[in-house]
Amino acid sequence: MRALIVDDERLARAELRRLLEPHPEIHIAGEARNGEEALRLARELAPDLLFLDIQMPGMNGFDLLEQLEDVPQTIFTTAYDEYALKAFEVNALDYLMKPIVPARLEAALAKLRPLRGSARLDQVFVRDGDRCWIVRLPDIFLLESEGNYTRVHFRDQRPLIRRSLNALETQLDPTLFFRAGRKQIVNLKWIEKVDLGPSGGLVVTLRGGRAVEMSRRQSAQLREILSL
Amino acid sequence: MKLSTKYWLLQALGWGAYSIVGLFLTAHFVGWRSDVVIGYILFFFYSIAFTDFLRREIKRRRWLDDISFATIAKLFGIGAALAALQTFLIVGVNFLFLGRATDYAAEPITAVETWWGITWVNGTWIGLYSAITRRRRQREKEARLESALRDAELRALEGQINPHFLFNCLNSIRGLVVEDPKLAQDMITRFATLLRYNLNRDAGHTVPLSAEAEVVADYLALEQVRFDERLRVRFDIDPKAEPIQVPPMLLQTLVENALKHGIGKLPAGGEIRIRASAEPDMLVLSVENTGQVNGAASADPQLGLNNVRERLRLIYGGRAGFELRNCDNNRVAATVQIPAAVMA
Repeated sequence: MRALIVDDERLARAELRRLLEPHPEIHIAGEARNGEEALRLARELAPDLLFLDIQMPGMNGFDLLEQLEDVPQTIFTTAYDEYALKAFEVNALDYLMKPIVPARLEAALAKLRPLRGSARLDQVFVRDGDRCWIVRLPDIFLLESEGNYTRVHFRDQRPLIRRSLNALETQLDPTLFFRAGRKQIVNLKWIEKVDLGPSGGLVVTLRGGRAVEMSRRQSAQLREILSL
Repeated sequence: MKLSTKYWLLQALGWGAYSIVGLFLTAHFVGWRSDVVIGYILFFFYSIAFTDFLRREIKRRRWLDDISFATIAKLFGIGAALAALQTFLIVGVNFLFLGRATDYAAEPITAVETWWGITWVNGTWIGLYSAITRRRRQREKEARLESALRDAELRALEGQINPHFLFNCLNSIRGLVVEDPKLAQDMITRFATLLRYNLNRDAGHTVPLSAEAEVVADYLALEQVRFDERLRVRFDIDPKAEPIQVPPMLLQTLVENALKHGIGKLPAGGEIRIRASAEPDMLVLSVENTGQVNGAASADPQLGLNNVRERLRLIYGGRAGFELRNCDNNRVAATVQIPAAVMA
């Protein structure tokens, strides 16, 4: 598993490197000293794992995640837990407090999910004002286009993400996400019920009650997929 | 004036005035008889003695802590009882001098009249004593509250060591232990000095600038290890300014602020320059750093600086000055002016 360490302190990076020595399964692909450098390296190296300090000069840890198209599994490293709650809401894999206790690092690494086989998007980072989340794609039941932004529906949240629906679609797993029309993409796993709509297209009802009407052309395709 | 001196003075004035007026009035009616003069002189002394006994009892039994109708009735009753004793002594003195031909023999009711009059004099004494004591206690309580509040405020404003810094520092030192044990040792001692200084402070006390500057130097040395080559430091302290008393953690707060909101925000880092000069009657402290302040965009740095402002206000009233401004397009300076005082 390839990891990128992001921390503005050289000693902190060196220290984490030493702490990772007993874990040969983690290969350190690179180190970044600040958000900008991390953004460049993350795009270049496409790491599977991010060790991310939150407080950094310029672009901080959250800013970085927001800029990333493809958010790797993330372990936050922070000196003081004022950000801990926030990090939990973002659904980070874990957060570690510096100085890092080796056993805590081990526990965090144990939570790592196995590598995904394809280049498909695994999770997205969403920020809405002060709150942020790392949302795993299976949790998203609906994506709605709003101009150049996309509204992400998961749990009882529906924040906006700064990417167009079309751009997102190219990275989604087509066996899981289905384009319902010009403005919507639904998660097939979340479909509870399919009805015939008044205009002849299908109307799918998602778990939680949200109904989405399909265009005629998409209805035919959905019939095929669901083999109705 | 001492509290007890004030009390005895008031006692003497009060009973003195009462006795002298009483003496003159009585003498006017019955003439300057020796028994009258001696009676009033004695009355003056034993009245003071009796009411002082009453004062001791009030204090001992804490009757004024919570004034209720029962307390008032009790106090008035004691006043009446003391008045009876005083009347008995007046009549007694009269009897010693005049024997059976005493003034009270013809009309015993005048003794009751005397007793009734003195009862109200004692009542007045009790009222005045209670009012004065309660007002004094109230003031003391307010003063205590005020100073406790000021202490608490100052303590809050002086702030504790920044936990973010603390843990980052420990983390860096942990890293140094492997890389550069000598430097790690040095950092641990500096860290200890800083912690000790932070823990040993008394709210509101001042320290010589030299002591504060030493701690700031330790703090910056620790930060330099964290920031690597991103932080450069310059000290420029006038030796004449060194003994001048400053509030502890004042310079430290300014330096922390400069790092947190100035150099800490710059990926390339910058320089911090600490200057102190002794002007006539004034100490001028300034912390300059690379960076810029932009008014509304930065509410957060205002917090630390508002603390500085508030502390200066609490300690010096309006006699201290503070400002934060851009010196040129790449430097910010925070400047504090405080009245120069050197601890004897």
